[in-house]
Amino acid sequence: MRAGADLAIAEINGSDSLGVEIEPVAVDPGGVVENYVAGARTLLRSHGLTHVVGCYTSSSRKEVLPLFEKQDALLWYPSHYEGFETSENVVYTGAAPNQHVVPMVRHLLGQSRRRGWLIGSNYIWAWENNRILREALGAADGSVIGERYFPVGETELMDLSRQIVADRPDFVFTTLIGSSAFAFLNQLRAASVAEGIDQARDIPVASCSLSEAELPFIGAAAAGHLSSSVYFSTVETAENERFAQAWNARFGAFGRASADAEATYVAVHLLARAAARAGSDDFEAVREAARGLSFAAPQGEVTIDPENLHCWMRPRIGRSRDNGTFEIVLESPTAVRPDPYLTWVQDSEFRRSGDANLRVIQ
Amino acid sequence: MSRSIVKNFRGLRAVVLQYETTGRDTLLQTLEKLGLEARAVRPEESAAEAAAEAELIFVDADEGIEPIFRKEELPGIPLIAIVGSEAPSRLARVVQARAASHIQKPVRSAGVFTAVLLAMNEHAQRCRLDSETAGLRRRLAGRRLVVKAVITLMTRWGIDDEDAYERLRQDAMNRRVPVEDVARDLLGLGPEETSPEHKHRFSE
Repeated sequence: MRAGADLAIAEINGSDSLGVEIEPVAVDPGGVVENYVAGARTLLRSHGLTHVVGCYTSSSRKEVLPLFEKQDALLWYPSHYEGFETSENVVYTGAAPNQHVVPMVRHLLGQSRRRGWLIGSNYIWAWENNRILREALGAADGSVIGERYFPVGETELMDLSRQIVADRPDFVFTTLIGSSAFAFLNQLRAASVAEGIDQARDIPVASCSLSEAELPFIGAAAAGHLSSSVYFSTVETAENERFAQAWNARFGAFGRASADAEATYVAVHLLARAAARAGSDDFEAVREAARGLSFAAPQGEVTIDPENLHCWMRPRIGRSRDNGTFEIVLESPTAVRPDPYLTWVQDSEFRRSGDANLRVIQ
Repeated sequence: MSRSIVKNFRGLRAVVLQYETTGRDTLLQTLEKLGLEARAVRPEESAAEAAAEAELIFVDADEGIEPIFRKEELPGIPLIAIVGSEAPSRLARVVQARAASHIQKPVRSAGVFTAVLLAMNEHAQRCRLDSETAGLRRRLAGRRLVVKAVITLMTRWGIDDEDAYERLRQDAMNRRVPVEDVARDLLGLGPEETSPEHKHRFSE
């Protein structure tokens, strides 16, 4: 995320076209929730800043939000998340649930995959995604064969993997994160091979978080997994070609550019454009200028929804390959309106089946 | 038994009884984002009328909006109290009105969804309990008649109470009416006066 922000800042400062200069101040809470409030206080109070790009987890965002409200500051939140929030102090540049979770559910049901095993790290992201999936499967006459949660960091997943292979579900939906995810993908693959099963074909693993940044950590079992995301490094746009080139030149050591890096890059560019449009860095002026603002992002055109300050983006489904990239297997033809409360998605639509194309949700 | 919760409020008609405040704007905006059809009504302007067409009412508990807090003015519509002052006199009215949930001032967008979700589900639960209670009440009131009918059958046919009750029950099942109604007919009494049933909208 930091690297994505650095790229955008360099581009903005290196060009006169916007008339905006960004001088970044960085704080690293090290992923520890308690450090976020202190970090936000430093940025907002000691440095008197109005705009902050950052936070990855929902818990860290919820933690700092009251400070932003009190200080009239704007958080540019560059992570896909589970939704159910619309703060007037946040611009959300990652996917909302109707832009990644729902498209993945549709994709699986479209392939008549109705029997799922749900596995996740034990926190809100997993619970809420699995809730959406469980209800959709219920509406589609499908079933949840098993559902298990593990503490973040758990890597002893071989027993579970054997159980899953024995159950032969149509798919596995995982919200495991970090080392747990890497361990699981390897152990499930090993358990499948032991039973002579082509796991990628027969029991595909689907997630809404697997990205290019993680594929190198998975090793031998990195290929053949489904991921739902608005960005993959393999998106074919002129902007992405430029972005990838700049990324590889500066941050190639991190692997390919990922959705989180791109979302952060987009957040900084949107911030600069909103400030240019507002003619100031004032909280309210920039926020109002941000409504309806568009940016030709690597993933395609991104527009901030004037109402809920989330972004219109194009859902995509990718399948991981052993070269560290995703093959894009489905792509929404148009940008999809963000629906953080899933107000416009109805269970009844999942009753239909056989539709293998991503449809425009709206 | 677990029942799935109501969580989508698209198209739900909400009325906010509150004077102009920034909090009210925040509330209306958030409700709109949630897909509700929300409008604000100044409390002194025919609050009762506004309430009549609403499926959910928000009311500022700090204001002197009395009619809305009288239960008879609220025919089965869930109420969410917007609470500022925590003085017991204000909160007492919230209790009396049986607010189904509340929002704390200053109103932020966070918390509105929770308040709506709790209120709608709590209200649905209350509606279920109310209709269950009404059913139990009806049956309780009919017990005396059932006993009378059982005795009548026992003397008429020379059967014991078990058989007599079984005949009543069979008849009720065949006619798909409560056993109390069968007893009523048997005793030559007219149909029961129907009690005014509450109309519950959006309860399921």
